[in-house]
Amino acid sequence: MNLDWSVVWQHREQLLAATGTTVMLTIATMAIAVPCGMLVAALRLYGWAPVRAAATAYVELFRNLPLILVVFWAFYVLPIWTGLGLSPLATGLAALSLNVTAYNAETFRAGLNSIRRGQVEAAMALGMSRAQALRRVIIPQALRRVLPVLASTWVSLFKDTSLVSVIAVTELAYVAMQVRAQTFRVLEMLTAMAAIYWLLGYPQAKLADWIQRRYAVSE
Amino acid sequence: MDFSVITDHWQFLASGLLVTLALSVASGASSIAAGFVVALARMHGPRWLKPVVVLYIDSMRAIPVLVVLVWTFFALPIVAGITMAPFFAALIGLTVHLAAYAAEIFRAGIESVRAGQTRAGLALGMSRAEILRRIVLPQAVVRMLPAFGSFLSVTIKDTAIASVIAVPELMRQSETVQGQTFQPIEVYTFAMLMYFLLLFPVTRGVDLVYRRVAHLGRS
Repeated sequence: MNLDWSVVWQHREQLLAATGTTVMLTIATMAIAVPCGMLVAALRLYGWAPVRAAATAYVELFRNLPLILVVFWAFYVLPIWTGLGLSPLATGLAALSLNVTAYNAETFRAGLNSIRRGQVEAAMALGMSRAQALRRVIIPQALRRVLPVLASTWVSLFKDTSLVSVIAVTELAYVAMQVRAQTFRVLEMLTAMAAIYWLLGYPQAKLADWIQRRYAVSE
Repeated sequence: MDFSVITDHWQFLASGLLVTLALSVASGASSIAAGFVVALARMHGPRWLKPVVVLYIDSMRAIPVLVVLVWTFFALPIVAGITMAPFFAALIGLTVHLAAYAAEIFRAGIESVRAGQTRAGLALGMSRAEILRRIVLPQAVVRMLPAFGSFLSVTIKDTAIASVIAVPELMRQSETVQGQTFQPIEVYTFAMLMYFLLLFPVTRGVDLVYRRVAHLGRS
């Protein structure tokens, strides 16, 4: 077995750019999926009955599908449905957002439901409107409980961005496997890819643990 | 839409579904078994072993499954000087990845049983192994049920990623049929339906069982 690690250094610029895309995809997906998840959770909890059913169906469907299938589906079906020629990056972002929005919606719903009913009733007895009670009593407490879950969703999302490599989004996994195919330095490139993911993912996982400890709710 | 593409290729797709089931059951079982050993090593192993186990668990939380699978299939044979069938490589890769998650579920479940019970067992002259088997695990296993429900669902979803290393499971077979017939909407909608029908009962079923037995885990 002869190893030549210089191949990693020679392609450092490509790998760096690809790592940037991976990080950017994670941030962009979360930026879309947090407000959308809040909206879906609100529709599911307070919407008109048919809207509520639709929101529930959406959440249950996407939580019960493998992400890689959603990515392929978005790649082939979205252009036909929308008539738009979406770039792989936009398609990947759409697929990731659809997936993470469903998870976030469930997180927000569980967060709101975790606050006892008595608190809304108490706030309303004090003369607050339902919206006021929600905004000033329920949401501030729910946020504390939601944050640790969002942190672990973030860590999963960071890893799941690798799945959009199957539709040729030039993120870390795709670029590393491209270089592997061009140079035949299989072991070196795949190990470098794993190492880069590890270097970025490990601190994120530790940070998520810290947030979980920091905001642990004990009753 | 013309769903005759599904009926024309039903045997091919059904064989994919069988492989998905086989891989899910095999990797689910092996990672739960391995996860139990890892959790015991983390909690009761020799002192030098603990940091190693923690590093392994946190690393698996930081590296995408795709990367683990691709590395196992393409790079491990170079290191070990062996060749592996895709199914076998997927089984190893998924087990290495998922065992870390299973270990954390076991640890959380076992640690949720109050330490006083272990001390009471010791005071009664039971050995640590006896206490684990007869006092701690019977309660912990019930409390772990919801977590293992989502673990099972994650396992089934992760088998779809094995399509990347050419395991002929449902995702891969769907891609092949799509590539031959150019009917992505029909093929991927069918795949979505199959995965949903597989995953939804698993998550719901575990919830139902848990509601029946939850009282057994209280102490």
